[in-house]
Amino acid sequence: MALSATQRARYDRHLALAEIGAAGQERLQRARVLVAGAGGLGSPAALYLAAAGVGTLGIIDGDCIELSNLQRQVLFTSADIGRLKAPTARERLLALNPEITVVAHASTLTAQNVVSVLEGYDVVLDGTDRVNTRYLINDACVILGKPLVSAAIHRFEGQAMTYAPGRGPCYRCLFAQPQPGAVASCAEAGVLGVLPGVLGAIQATEAIKLVTGVGEPLIGRLLIYDALELRFTELPLARRADCAVCGEHPSITSVRDAGESCAAPDLTSVRRLSPSTLRQQLASARAAGQLVLIDVREPREFDIGHLEGACNIPLGEIPLRLGELTAGRTPVFICRSGRRSLSACALALRAGIEAPAHLEGGLLAWAAELDPSFEVAPG
Amino acid sequence: MSCTVRIPSPLRSYTGGAPAVAAGGVTVEEVLGDLERRFGGIRFRMLDEQNRIRPHIRLYVNTSEVTALAQAVQPGDTVHVICALSGG
Repeated sequence: MALSATQRARYDRHLALAEIGAAGQERLQRARVLVAGAGGLGSPAALYLAAAGVGTLGIIDGDCIELSNLQRQVLFTSADIGRLKAPTARERLLALNPEITVVAHASTLTAQNVVSVLEGYDVVLDGTDRVNTRYLINDACVILGKPLVSAAIHRFEGQAMTYAPGRGPCYRCLFAQPQPGAVASCAEAGVLGVLPGVLGAIQATEAIKLVTGVGEPLIGRLLIYDALELRFTELPLARRADCAVCGEHPSITSVRDAGESCAAPDLTSVRRLSPSTLRQQLASARAAGQLVLIDVREPREFDIGHLEGACNIPLGEIPLRLGELTAGRTPVFICRSGRRSLSACALALRAGIEAPAHLEGGLLAWAAELDPSFEVAPG
Repeated sequence: MSCTVRIPSPLRSYTGGAPAVAAGGVTVEEVLGDLERRFGGIRFRMLDEQNRIRPHIRLYVNTSEVTALAQAVQPGDTVHVICALSGG
């Protein structure tokens, strides 16, 4: 597949690199790379891979574009709000480079579709924002023998690592099993908009290196980036002989098994209380010891102002302290906006606690509806 | 006898946002105990009730992974606390 004159002009700066040259560019042209998640990480990664001339670029994401995405998801513009991410990304990437093929998968990766989707690609980039999906993708890559470049972000910190079959540890070697809810999401904790730009560019770099065979991939190493201190830290990672998926005696041998833990809990049994309903219930049920009010915000937020009688268990501690919630009392979770409290309900449901409740709209709604003097700390 | 402990982003709410803190102790267990005294609750985010490192946490002394809490810590060492992140 020789390069055309137009392609030679487009990729001139790659061709000038002895390490890539025409042979490397042709490898890129033949490559099929999947970007899982068209979010903060997937946006810059996909843009650079398209610009680099990756011949087939897959984008999988089932979400629609929201205004709050635009602070970091540089694939999209204000005019795209409400549209599906995957086909919108395809349009943008083809506008950047019409020489390539872009496949839009407007769906979420699940245990049912992950094999059929990943089978069509040579390298996978994980930029998803769900804990269990990270394990699903990792397990599928190990089982299918696909290289995987993982990255994740939180506030001002990012991590990246590369898995290559038979050459080093996988994501489960790093973190053995998911602990959903132990770490707040970007929606809950915030993220510096430019942070995924750095990590997404690293993922694209790794993919290009894996395809062209140049350099030393981030195999067996964990890269940690702290944007606040502008510090890169690298720590060695070893493959674990007891890893559940790539170890000597794997217990996860099919993606279906790996995916079973990915089922999202059914939140229909969560009781969503309005501020006035919660106030009524507090007056009656709590007096009888039937419910416990749990504020899942961080301690600094709690200290600024909280409801009388509430105990503070930050969302990150909920999975670790579920035992405290099962003493026969119904937990009512509260937070600033209702987002973290709903996550806490999901964790409680997973742990078998029936009908947890949360304050819909959070303390912001409480202050607006019932008590304008109540000070709600910034999130 | 103090070392530096690098705190991962999800646990910085315990250290007032500090990315690194000094801590005393000659073993990892003692260092984490010192952290707990000053930043109550942080140890439980790293270790479970049986004192096992949680599956979404990794600890290193300099570049050596911590596999036992009795692992020695020397003055001037850096203890890295690594926490799984999920944001994308």
